[in-house]
Amino acid sequence: MPSTLPSDSDLGRLGLETPIARIDRALKEIWNDDEAKTRASLINLAIYTEDSAILAADNDLLAHVAAEHACRALLILALPEARPPRARAWIQALCRPYQGKQIVCSEQLSFVLEGGDAAQVQNIVFAHLDSDLPLVVWWQADLTQNFEERFYSRIDTLIIDSSRWTNPAKQFDALLAAMNAETAGFDVRDLAWTRSHFMRTALASCFQDAAALQNLARLETIRITHLKGQRTAALLLAVWINQRLKTMLQLELIEKDSGPALQSLVIEGEGVRGEVRRDCDSSFINVCTSCGQHEHKDLLPADVDSDAELVSEQLSRFHGSTLYSTMLPFVRGMLN
Amino acid sequence: MPEQENPFQETLLSRHRAEPCTVVIFGATGDLTNRKLIPAFYNIAAAGDLPPQFKVVGFARREKTDEGFRSELETGNRKNSRQGHSDELWGSFAQCIHYHRSEFEDPAGYVQLKLLLDKFDQERGAPANRLFYLASAPEAFKPILEMIRAAGLSEGVGGKWARVVCEKPFGKDLATARGLNAVVAETFEEKDTYRIDHYLGKETAQNIMVLRFANSIFEPNWNSRYIDHVQITCAENLGMEGGRGGYYDTAGALRDMVQNHLFQLLTLVAMEPPTDLSADSVRDEKVKVIRALRPLIGPEAVGKNVIRAQYTAGSVDGVSRVGYRQEDRVNPESKTEPYVALRIMIDTWRWQGVPFYIRVGKQLPKKATEISVHFKKPPQVPFATSDLLKNSENTLVIRIQPDEGIALRILCKQPGQAMNVQQVKMDFRYSSSFGKASPEAYERLLLDAMAGDATLFARRDEVEHAWKFIDEIEHAWHKSATPPPMHEYPAGSWGPKEADDLLRADGREWRLL
Repeated sequence: MPSTLPSDSDLGRLGLETPIARIDRALKEIWNDDEAKTRASLINLAIYTEDSAILAADNDLLAHVAAEHACRALLILALPEARPPRARAWIQALCRPYQGKQIVCSEQLSFVLEGGDAAQVQNIVFAHLDSDLPLVVWWQADLTQNFEERFYSRIDTLIIDSSRWTNPAKQFDALLAAMNAETAGFDVRDLAWTRSHFMRTALASCFQDAAALQNLARLETIRITHLKGQRTAALLLAVWINQRLKTMLQLELIEKDSGPALQSLVIEGEGVRGEVRRDCDSSFINVCTSCGQHEHKDLLPADVDSDAELVSEQLSRFHGSTLYSTMLPFVRGMLN
Repeated sequence: MPEQENPFQETLLSRHRAEPCTVVIFGATGDLTNRKLIPAFYNIAAAGDLPPQFKVVGFARREKTDEGFRSELETGNRKNSRQGHSDELWGSFAQCIHYHRSEFEDPAGYVQLKLLLDKFDQERGAPANRLFYLASAPEAFKPILEMIRAAGLSEGVGGKWARVVCEKPFGKDLATARGLNAVVAETFEEKDTYRIDHYLGKETAQNIMVLRFANSIFEPNWNSRYIDHVQITCAENLGMEGGRGGYYDTAGALRDMVQNHLFQLLTLVAMEPPTDLSADSVRDEKVKVIRALRPLIGPEAVGKNVIRAQYTAGSVDGVSRVGYRQEDRVNPESKTEPYVALRIMIDTWRWQGVPFYIRVGKQLPKKATEISVHFKKPPQVPFATSDLLKNSENTLVIRIQPDEGIALRILCKQPGQAMNVQQVKMDFRYSSSFGKASPEAYERLLLDAMAGDATLFARRDEVEHAWKFIDEIEHAWHKSATPPPMHEYPAGSWGPKEADDLLRADGREWRLL
């Protein structure tokens, strides 16, 4: 992981640089300046990254997410290899108009932790939470070093994106170990899994067709076309299909250099075929089911695409699901 | 052969997903279809929640083609859709819309309708559920239901269900409601009958149960020991615009709003915790509240507890308004009330001695529907004289519309050397806390009807008990020798002085909205 510092222009976008000890006072000053602003917060949302190149993108993402989910936002860039150790902080209000007259704002605190180790990350996060609100952490780095028990035992929801991992097998091992730890009580949301939601919904729609449903037992193969780098999303989808059918269909993955993360899913067997296809730039998906001479087509809305929208979507689903955790050992097995 | 479950459907949704379904809307050329129903279906489609292989058939008297009907609805959708209008989505969605021309009383029209529905099933490869939506004038409900039954459409085909959704008003008194219920019951079982009240589809109305039963701090105080009284206000700043005077003058505020919408809110506030969230458990508890309303029998009891009034000329938001009797399509001699205020007692252990004050009116200063729960004052307050603490009881306000949310009024010490106490408000707003807009009430209710969840729909006994209570008041007003007077208030004011006196007599006053 690069230990380079972010550019000045990226840091400039984080708001007002503030000594860490003065953060609370500086936040109060923001609200005192303008009585027309309303502060709102439902959760603590922390993004943890060790990649300074994506700091600006994460900053934009938080602004997008906070527009839908009022939160105390924490953006933490840790550079464990950087020397000498140094911690800097910025504050800003993420505001959106409400009913044309009032401004509703969330607070964002950003930290750059040079030489940041596990203890420092924990201290920074835990010292700046909005009390009594759930802690949601999007951990963008590998699940090593700073991702340790005293930290994850306080997390309510852990967001990851397994398709970003350079070594998924190792990372799934670390995730499973953390999930099985005695003190862990967090709910996991994997954006790679969220990306397949529209495919799963569309596949369910395919097999609402009575004729196709009668022929489920004939299905033999799964073919998934995905964008390069989204293999985990495709694998999770395949594991889910096999789990639902209680079988092991033959799997073919096709990788493309461009287009949506998941582009098509074809599931077929003798005389029965279901196809879900999302074309480039389309916000809809085509669904086609055929069974003998009988054919049914449909157009369904595609799910959101960007990381910001995926995170926002996850935050809208308050309840977690045990489904993902039951699939992990199978996905891990396919990565050997 | 037992019906096979779709294994992919499971695990995807936190709510029941509706199976393939055809919806038939009777009176489909009316305003409701154009303004509410089709935009609701479209938005359900935009959210990806529409059942697969969905069809909607408009059934009405006017001559139209499928294309003509779709085109009219497209215009309406562009104007009324909550999430905007996408040509691409509409192009696909519109293919599921069809039009069927027939008189409501023509048996042949229903035979043709059956053939059309069977044809859809054939195209799907299997029978689908059928939902009949009565959006016509209430007088047409009876012939429509009889024809549905005669055509054999009231029975589901191939193990699928057939249901009916009835729009309000569900009767105009107890006798007509019972008559209508009897007609419905001859055609559909109660479990397949969905009486819609769009107030129950509103996010904040649904939130009342969550607020009460998921937060341990409220329920222990939710009784006559801690609550002084409850106010429910539904204020409108409009009169009889758009020709609505014709219908309204035959109904009035009591029948148009109190019997259905406001009683629904009242029951949600006053009900006991249901044993579970099944439709009948929730509705059982709501019915118990309605049955426990202390009846107001005779003109004297009604005069003491119910204030009716008509507005006279005045101004709202600086715009001049005519009086009620001068409104378009209103009888100049009208005895209909566009305003009513009631003091209602609920004879249960929990609510003994706690009055529920309800007021609803037209041409009031602003549009707002709110419930306020006024807690009792502490037995002894050492901080200030009683004058300073006038109207300073803790109040929990549930805003139903607009600006949905919850506020709690508490007392705090003012900064400074003296021990001065001041009211402050803790305020939760749906829109500022949750950036996403709530779905329209009809979206939620239509999905529930298709998925078989009747929790947010009124049950037969609920409707009839509500009418029984309302009828006594109507009788005192219109059939007694000494009817309580019709009062007046200038348009733009908060109602007649007598409504203020109703609370003043109890040492209370209406909350300022």
